[in-house]
Amino acid sequence: MAPLLEVKGISVHFGGLAAVGNVSFGIEPGERLALIGPNGAGKTTLFNVLTGQLKPSAGSVYFKGQDITRASVFARTHLGMARSFQITSLFPYQTVRVNALIALQGTRKGRYNVVRGLMGDKQMQAAVQGLLESTDLWELREEVVSSLAYGQQRKLEIALSLASDPELLLLDEPSCGLTTAESADITTRIRDLGSKITVLMIAHDMDLVFGVAERVMLLHYGQIACVGTCDEIRANPMVRDIYMGTRKTFGSNG
Amino acid sequence: MGDSPRELPAGDTRVADGTATSLARKIPRSLVEIGLPVLVIAVIVLLLPLFIPSFVSSLVSKMMIYGLFGMSLNIIWGYAGIPSFGHAAFFGVGGYAAGILFLKVGISNFWLILLLAIVAAAVVAAILGFPAFRVFGVGAGAVNPIYFLLATIAFGEILSRVAIAVRPVTGGSTGLSGIKKLDLAGFGFRMTSGRYYYLVFFIVVVCLFVMYRVVNSHYGYALRGIHDNERRMQALGYNTWLYKYTSWIIAGVFGSVAGVLFAFFGSTMIPNNLAMVTSDIAFLLVIMGSTTTFFGPLVASVVYVGVEYLASLYLPDRWPLIFGAMFVFTIMVIPQGLGVFILKWWRRLFSGSPA
Repeated sequence: MAPLLEVKGISVHFGGLAAVGNVSFGIEPGERLALIGPNGAGKTTLFNVLTGQLKPSAGSVYFKGQDITRASVFARTHLGMARSFQITSLFPYQTVRVNALIALQGTRKGRYNVVRGLMGDKQMQAAVQGLLESTDLWELREEVVSSLAYGQQRKLEIALSLASDPELLLLDEPSCGLTTAESADITTRIRDLGSKITVLMIAHDMDLVFGVAERVMLLHYGQIACVGTCDEIRANPMVRDIYMGTRKTFGSNG
Repeated sequence: MGDSPRELPAGDTRVADGTATSLARKIPRSLVEIGLPVLVIAVIVLLLPLFIPSFVSSLVSKMMIYGLFGMSLNIIWGYAGIPSFGHAAFFGVGGYAAGILFLKVGISNFWLILLLAIVAAAVVAAILGFPAFRVFGVGAGAVNPIYFLLATIAFGEILSRVAIAVRPVTGGSTGLSGIKKLDLAGFGFRMTSGRYYYLVFFIVVVCLFVMYRVVNSHYGYALRGIHDNERRMQALGYNTWLYKYTSWIIAGVFGSVAGVLFAFFGSTMIPNNLAMVTSDIAFLLVIMGSTTTFFGPLVASVVYVGVEYLASLYLPDRWPLIFGAMFVFTIMVIPQGLGVFILKWWRRLFSGSPA
């Protein structure tokens, strides 16, 4: 099968620093791929190239066979990509309902309509109910987002990413800052997204990685150090050295 | 047309924001909360000229014109989050276009003048908006919004210099005078000062209605989203640049309508009407009125014009000082703006508990 997303020889240089150096990989439709690596490995830089926030110094990105290397952020969303943010990125002064409404109309034709009221739009309200019920946020629909608990905000963060009905979902540390229980909940949600949605996620939380991913890719100094299934990654001594830290890391002062 | 969702599924006993009252139970809340005060104020303003001397009703005209001016800036500032120090550029272009068409071209039909002035302002906004948003930028991806603000100041100053330079058309530094409302045509009756009050009222009401529709439309909510979180909006599929650019033009168009009304109201147009001195008025109205309510700048305009009138009576030489004091007073005492203050008070009236 042709890969849904194909990355060919991506390099990103910040001045003399090569944050990402010649990275190539592909994601098959329906796959769940986790991107791991220590701080500064270039995960977020690579992620920003995929979402369009950053243009690579070299290489290209193909989505559904189409070259999107230079495509804008919003154009990618219309093609079927969606992303979440590591630092919760919502509309804090609006209610959950308005957040969902704004998110849902982003890829709909009506978004430029200057006459029609958004709140009274029955079709949109029904879509909001669908989205919020599927993410268990319907009860909170009239709450202002800034007053929500952090765990609920993270849930909404993912809900907004799902609003455009994406084929490829790019998640940036979806469980960042959550308690173990909340993190487990997010893990189940991502796992239950269904095979229509392909997922690429950055994660530090290894329970999340091993609970969701079919394939794990380890990035180290801007390059792919190794790729493999969860079991392979778990067994790989290099991963342990790079990512989990060597015995020396913890043994040095005690 | 309500701006908040009040439809709850059957059997849901919870009132939208948890404040059930007997008064609001039968009639839709939005109708009572918004429709009632709007209607009452409209009727008062309509009947006012019957009871007050004509100089007071001319103050009320000015309140309406400046209110429209402030609210038009609020579309980009309050809703889309784009502050501009050059909003008078559009006010002045509208006013100058009206004056030139009336005096130099010889068009006396008000509606034609209004239409052409709007087109002129839209074209100017479209031209200025390009460098403003492409080169200087504001919001996500912009280097620093201060450059955008400086650019908007420059736009107004450049236009006022142009107005001074092109003397045969614009009257140079003394501006245009004799833009007499009495010679306006296109109504089916002779224009008088008394009738001009109703013309201003009618145009402002229509503009407010249209603006209200715009900010509560699909498009308007996208502007709110850009205000709150532009990066997220892009990730959701919005071409935020296009929204910012078009909202700038829309704001410019309504600002120019205020300018047209002002030109015939005062019968003069001077280069300062394009420059920062006038932009400051809109700026103050938005700060004083609040960026988070639709009607805020209109309320601020009532206060502003009142203070301006009293100052002109008692302390005409101290106007800049008083103007500055209004800024400081607003920021220190009512930083959220009069609009929020009134809204809270109004909601409390209905809910019986602090909003």
